[in-house]
Amino acid sequence: MEEKLSSAAKTLTPSPIQQLSLLAQRCNAINLAEGFPDFPAPPQIKAAAVSAINSDFNQYRHVQGICDSVAKIMKQMHGLDVEPLTDVAICCGQSEAFAATVFAIIDQGDEVILFDPSYETYEACVTIAGGVPVYVPLDPPHWTLDPDKLMKSFTVRTKAIVLNSPHNPTGKVFTKAELETIARACCTRDYLAITDEVYEHITFDKEKHISIASLLGMRKRTIITSSLSKTYSVTGWRVGWAVAPACIASAIKNIHIKITDSAPAPFQEAALTAFRSPMEYFELLRRDYESKRDCIVKLLARVGFKVHFKPQGAFFLFAELPENCLLSDIEFVEELIKQAAVVAVPGCGFFHRNFYSENLSLADYGYQKRYIRFAFCKSDATLADAATKIGQLVDAKGCLKLF
Amino acid sequence: MQMSQCIWTSHEMLGPFRFGPSIQRNFSKSIRRSAGDSRSRATSYPSFMAAISTGSTQHAAVSTEDDSTTKTHQPLQVAKRLEKFKTTIFTQMSMLAIKHGAINLGQGFPNFDGPEFVKEAAIQAIKDGKNQYARGYGVPDLNSAVASRFKKDTGLEVDPEKEVTVTSGCTEAIAATMLGLINNSDEVILFAPFYDSYEATLSMAGAKIKCITLRPPDFSVPIDELKSAISKNTRAILINTPHNPTGKMFTREELNVIASLCIENDVLVFTDEVYDKLSFEMDHISMASLPGMYERTVTMNSLGKTFSLTGWKIGWAIAPPHLTWGLRQAHSFLTFATCTPMQYAAAAALRAPESYYEELKRDYGAKKAILVEGLKAVGFKVFPSSGTYFVVVDHTPFGLKDDIAFCEYLIKEIGVVAIPTSVFYLNPEDGKNLVRFTFCKDEGTLRSAVKRMKEKLLLRN
Repeated sequence: MEEKLSSAAKTLTPSPIQQLSLLAQRCNAINLAEGFPDFPAPPQIKAAAVSAINSDFNQYRHVQGICDSVAKIMKQMHGLDVEPLTDVAICCGQSEAFAATVFAIIDQGDEVILFDPSYETYEACVTIAGGVPVYVPLDPPHWTLDPDKLMKSFTVRTKAIVLNSPHNPTGKVFTKAELETIARACCTRDYLAITDEVYEHITFDKEKHISIASLLGMRKRTIITSSLSKTYSVTGWRVGWAVAPACIASAIKNIHIKITDSAPAPFQEAALTAFRSPMEYFELLRRDYESKRDCIVKLLARVGFKVHFKPQGAFFLFAELPENCLLSDIEFVEELIKQAAVVAVPGCGFFHRNFYSENLSLADYGYQKRYIRFAFCKSDATLADAATKIGQLVDAKGCLKLF
Repeated sequence: MQMSQCIWTSHEMLGPFRFGPSIQRNFSKSIRRSAGDSRSRATSYPSFMAAISTGSTQHAAVSTEDDSTTKTHQPLQVAKRLEKFKTTIFTQMSMLAIKHGAINLGQGFPNFDGPEFVKEAAIQAIKDGKNQYARGYGVPDLNSAVASRFKKDTGLEVDPEKEVTVTSGCTEAIAATMLGLINNSDEVILFAPFYDSYEATLSMAGAKIKCITLRPPDFSVPIDELKSAISKNTRAILINTPHNPTGKMFTREELNVIASLCIENDVLVFTDEVYDKLSFEMDHISMASLPGMYERTVTMNSLGKTFSLTGWKIGWAIAPPHLTWGLRQAHSFLTFATCTPMQYAAAAALRAPESYYEELKRDYGAKKAILVEGLKAVGFKVFPSSGTYFVVVDHTPFGLKDDIAFCEYLIKEIGVVAIPTSVFYLNPEDGKNLVRFTFCKDEGTLRSAVKRMKEKLLLRN
């Protein structure tokens, strides 16, 4: 039956990341790689889900209350006017909301701008829908947006820009100025913006998340996608949404219905309880994650990583290997697993230099093999454990021996 | 707590290496029959829009709008185009039903709940903290349970890790199969009437649909028509058995003929078997169990209909590794992972003893009897339904011009909802004499509906 395997399947050798994950499993390593919590979800929200199951909310459903709540939150956070009956599509997680959005608006050959480094899945959705991903590299060490690089990446085929803020993997929160640059381009060139705002409630140091949809001229051309997952620590419940002008939201709903038909019913119910969380819940979320951030920053900076800035949002730290480290990111992660039994993600996989505009191809992108992503959405115990394990591997000067 | 659940196959971790440029080029090659220019990446993938925008008269209609924002009108075109899929018929019917307080025998889901032991398992999973991302292709325990159940049902042994993929309902299994395995302009054969997502997702994949109509009274497969439709150009054929809306079950003879044609022409088979446990008049047969067929079949199923938990969205696809690979790729961008606590509950459900399934059949058998006797007594021509919880009937004795008119009349004047079957056909004319009733309702509801029809529905012919 080997000959029946597709040529793609035959070409694929076990990926380096797959090898790393098997290695991590064998070493029983502490997982600072996965982007989801290892602490429990909020009890009142779990209770709401249990109650929904017991109350027979178990058949296909569309819970309009979610649309009402999302509209209210959009108004409170961003001053946006969202019509709950027409502008909100409930989906199986932000993943499906994003996929359905791309299918709703991307045509064969349409180019979609993405910012590097970037979460992987956006590109896959664009490509499957017949679109062409064009990446624009953000500039290290602070991952700033260079308007010049952005402009150079536009062509007559550009249709949309994807914006993830707060940002995975860097923890950057796009500044008002950067949002205005993007918005100006969208408005003058008639582009759409698709946003991934799943970390919208996880910002630090009084940093506020601004949705680009709230900028002048953007509401009618922006599709916001988000979900319960990161805000309420329920990444496995698959309840997300898209907010868009009515005609686009309608298209997204229609596609969603053909892809999955309905988001899981009892968790839609539980979402209503989640949305009613008091201000204190969000305050505590922020404070908790902020202290975890401080913990990981301190730990990694102390042992010699180059931490150029503290993440302003999301729950990832994108740390750079010091100059004296001759290992690549993948090699380093392998050593970290073997010697410290701690796992992180090599950063190279978040970069896509083959997809940069030709105008940007001549530059030094060597830094793209020098970054490691650490997740800090972990319990204090896990982080302390990781600190101990890493702490055991330092030399006399306090630097990680692996470097 | 550490690594007991290996989730590294999720693209959170793997993505970067799965979709590197060389891998992408090879992926596109594998789903194109002929090797394409590796630089024309844009054309290598199935395109939803390309299929949609060819041959559309709606294209022109919208462009008369304001030119300065022509781009933002493209989504408007899409939206208009898509309205045709989830037609307003269902919305209209539902709204009418509520307005007139009609008894709903149209919706294809139960008005009673699933078994306690399955609900308990979900609750326990939530309490045990199983609330984070599951492994993309399924919680290992569920993959195993699916494989075990499949073995009991078909005798086939499959590898839960390499041949079972968990999805958000069978609907997503279908979408992932279409998007993962069908190339732009591939020919796919469908049997009408069909569940509406088939056509929509095939369009998204850019497929050329060839439709073969199943006709009353027994909706048997027209073999000659099938033989002339299928050729070496056919990429796949989709079979839904037991069949929604007719209740037909594909016989062994029919499946044998289809199988030999598929083997002869190297055609894939995608089967939707969500009603397999609701088989009354004959045994359900999985195409995958026929000689030579497992290697070319994707078998899809779900939890919802068997366990009356349609809103939980747990489904799965069973296929040999070379087909599983493609559908897993598509699944990973469509939804990434499936609802975690419900997967644990589904594993418990699938381990239900045979007595559960026997009782399920008995219960539904009793409900069916109430509905069918009632419909016959009222004067419908009732077609035999061997499986599912649907029955189609010919409404023409009542003198309404078509199925939609009849359904509106039934709601407004009689207070009962049925579904017009024309929405299940490529050519709506084929369905105008037929409407679909469902009996996935408690007996009281069914009796009340029958009573209303007996009292008020009058023969006109």
